[in-house]
Amino acid sequence: MELREIVLSLPTDRRMAETFLQSQGLRLEEDVEYTVVAVEGDRVVGTGSLSGKVLKCIAVEPALQGQGIASQILSELVHEAFRRGRDHLFLFTRPENETVFTPMGFSVVERMEKDLVLLENRANGFVQYLVALRNHREEVGVSGSVVVNCNPFTLGHRYLLEYAASRVHTLHVFVVEEDRSVFPTEVRFKLVQEGTQDINNIKLHRGGPYIISSATFPSYFLKEPSEGTRLYGRFDATIFGKRICPVLNITRRFVGEEPYCPVTSIYNQCLYDILPKYGVQVEIIPRLEKGGKAVSASTVRKLLSEGRWRETKDLVPPTTFEFLQSEEARPILDRLKKAPNSRH
Amino acid sequence: MRILHSGTAGTLESSDVMITVERNPEKGLIIELESISEARFGNRIREVITDTLKKLQVQDVKVRVQDRSALDCTIRARLTAAVFRAAGIEKYPWEELE
Repeated sequence: MELREIVLSLPTDRRMAETFLQSQGLRLEEDVEYTVVAVEGDRVVGTGSLSGKVLKCIAVEPALQGQGIASQILSELVHEAFRRGRDHLFLFTRPENETVFTPMGFSVVERMEKDLVLLENRANGFVQYLVALRNHREEVGVSGSVVVNCNPFTLGHRYLLEYAASRVHTLHVFVVEEDRSVFPTEVRFKLVQEGTQDINNIKLHRGGPYIISSATFPSYFLKEPSEGTRLYGRFDATIFGKRICPVLNITRRFVGEEPYCPVTSIYNQCLYDILPKYGVQVEIIPRLEKGGKAVSASTVRKLLSEGRWRETKDLVPPTTFEFLQSEEARPILDRLKKAPNSRH
Repeated sequence: MRILHSGTAGTLESSDVMITVERNPEKGLIIELESISEARFGNRIREVITDTLKKLQVQDVKVRVQDRSALDCTIRARLTAAVFRAAGIEKYPWEELE
């Protein structure tokens, strides 16, 4: 048995992994970056892929399971991830396969009913995250929460945060920490920070790997909703409601109404279905409108890609506008012009 | 030896161990151990790791261990390789290592 890297841009190569996965009732997902197959003679007997910090599309021919093929595939994927500078890794599997991975040093982050288990390659990663988060807990009054991507921070976000902050004693704001947006995480975080400095009861956090990340909610970063969107959306909502909210004493979650993006709107529905089970009320807030249209970050990105500065200025706070005109923003604007319809 | 970045060695295969070494921003040694034989050999594994690090004169590190029942000599070898990689040293002084 030997391992071979699949050249994903080569259709004949790609098909080797696809055909095998199909025979196992799985498919090669769109966002994989690195794929290996285990080959016995000229027959594919196993495969696995890497996508960001997630190991996925892993399968071994049932007749050959238990011979160490999966652990060779996984070792190779972990090494490749490490070469790419990622060492905190995740993988999703069905509960019946959990015990394939736990002996390899993967431990359970969270299980959702009988559908899905998320594993990570460190012993107490999630618990350590929760312990650190606990320092920001506020005992007095009602604590609420908003999770935002802010690509970039607009007046719409500002309106949502201001409104949410007025409804609670403390508002925990999580900025999605995943560099798949045109505006890098550090910039998005900085713009939210600068744009909300005058709202005293906001506590700003980086979302980390457990809140709408490619680990908890991989489909969020795909443009179109897929069959996984609802499943992963429910999973992300479960982690948030069951594990994160109790730590911060959060009993409200605010979301912006989503008129445009089908993925986000499915996600909002998942929050609405699941969070109340954990004592968290969900409040959907209508979007801020300007000139009869909802203010959205995607509109801002489109305007920026077309160089329409005056219209942009009407939709973003002064702090964001200032950044957009700075030297630092230039490479971001260049990227936008090349790919104006990017997701989120 | 000074740890510059994170370094890793080993595999997840049976009888092997995957070890990752990185700087501990705080003082001291942190060992995060995941092992199928934790109950029986956990303490022994920690001992081998502490010992090997002492010999390599490495302090203030975080060591993540994903063990699949590796022998002591394997653990030592994997840890030594991970430390050298983390220290950015590419030439191994074989004679000096036991």
